[in-house]
Amino acid sequence: MKKVLFIFSICLIASVYTFAQSNHFGMYYSIAFPTGDVGEYISKPSFRGVYFDFHKTINENVGIGLSTGWTVFYEEKAEDTYTIENNSLTGKQYRYSNHVPILASGVYYMQPDQTINPFAKLGIGTIYTRRNTDMGQYTYELEAWNFALAPEFGVQYSVGYESAVSLSLKYFAGFQAGNELDASQSYFAINFGFVY
Amino acid sequence: MKSYNLLFAVLLVLLGGCYPQGPEYTEEMDIVFTTYDEQYDFTSKSTYAMPDQIVVDVDIENGDTSFVYMDAKYAIPILNEIDENMLAYGWSKVAINENPDLLMMPAGLSSTTYFYGWWYDWWWGGWYPWWGWYYPPYYPVVGSYTTGTLMMVLADPNAAEDNPVKQTPITWLSASNGIFNYSYDVTRVTDAIEKSFAQSPYLNID
Repeated sequence: MKKVLFIFSICLIASVYTFAQSNHFGMYYSIAFPTGDVGEYISKPSFRGVYFDFHKTINENVGIGLSTGWTVFYEEKAEDTYTIENNSLTGKQYRYSNHVPILASGVYYMQPDQTINPFAKLGIGTIYTRRNTDMGQYTYELEAWNFALAPEFGVQYSVGYESAVSLSLKYFAGFQAGNELDASQSYFAINFGFVY
Repeated sequence: MKSYNLLFAVLLVLLGGCYPQGPEYTEEMDIVFTTYDEQYDFTSKSTYAMPDQIVVDVDIENGDTSFVYMDAKYAIPILNEIDENMLAYGWSKVAINENPDLLMMPAGLSSTTYFYGWWYDWWWGGWYPWWGWYYPPYYPVVGSYTTGTLMMVLADPNAAEDNPVKQTPITWLSASNGIFNYSYDVTRVTDAIEKSFAQSPYLNID
């Protein structure tokens, strides 16, 4: 898998420099909804997220680039007792799940010349996850680097020359990995931002 | 482009500010841990003995060892709370010379941690031509917090005979930990004692 990613990255970087026509940089505020293992750990949506991407268009419909960002899910659990074998611990639990995707991405613009321009994006790469369970002065930390795919559908609304506001729905699918956190780490995100 | 860079910088600062803060009050940091010997049969026992003071420190001076005890105004409500909970679970308190089945030994520990206001240094570091970590030309911000732990141990003095090093094995242990605030509210400790027993139903011999 590492070899495939390496070759993919080389091709991507090469293509960016070979075919580049114009650059687009985007910044997005993100609201995220946990699914699967993340949702079982923290059920509440996150209003703390920000994403950035950078694309070079290789023709007017297609662009390739990189994207990254950060979402943190947080939940304060009411005081409870947690028992494992002959040990019991009572206290308030504070749960944090940080996710940092690092993706190479391709985007297809459906109506690049129109004011309203729907698009589809696919990101491939990794999601770094750090989960902290805090009780008292102690924290229990688990990390994972999941291979990830991130399909995204959205629309850009042109607000001037080479700039637009963007609204999209993205699914970050971090596949099962052999890390400390061995379950898949996935979530939906609604991204609202500005592209120029 | 410059305005976008500024926007980016502002966004980063806002991001730092919006990280979830976790506990707001020291009480929310209180935790109670208990563990026990799963092989030990509590139901075959019925009596316990407990000292009437709580050790918080040991002084060693010129080779002489002396114990430092918790102030009675805190120790008495703590000892009473332990007795009440043991009684509620069906145990009878006896004197140490009346051959108790178990010994209840409470102890208090405290520790103070000092820390530097490193974020302050980092923040202002950006104004200098060399970016990064450096010692500021003024005294750094220093803070401290003190944590306290109440330990309760139930040990079987009669089992020392069967122990290869003739030590009394621990059958139950409780550690309640929290951060002191300035009110020294003893009810936080008595609450923790109650929780210790509530999460240890195997001690109930009634």
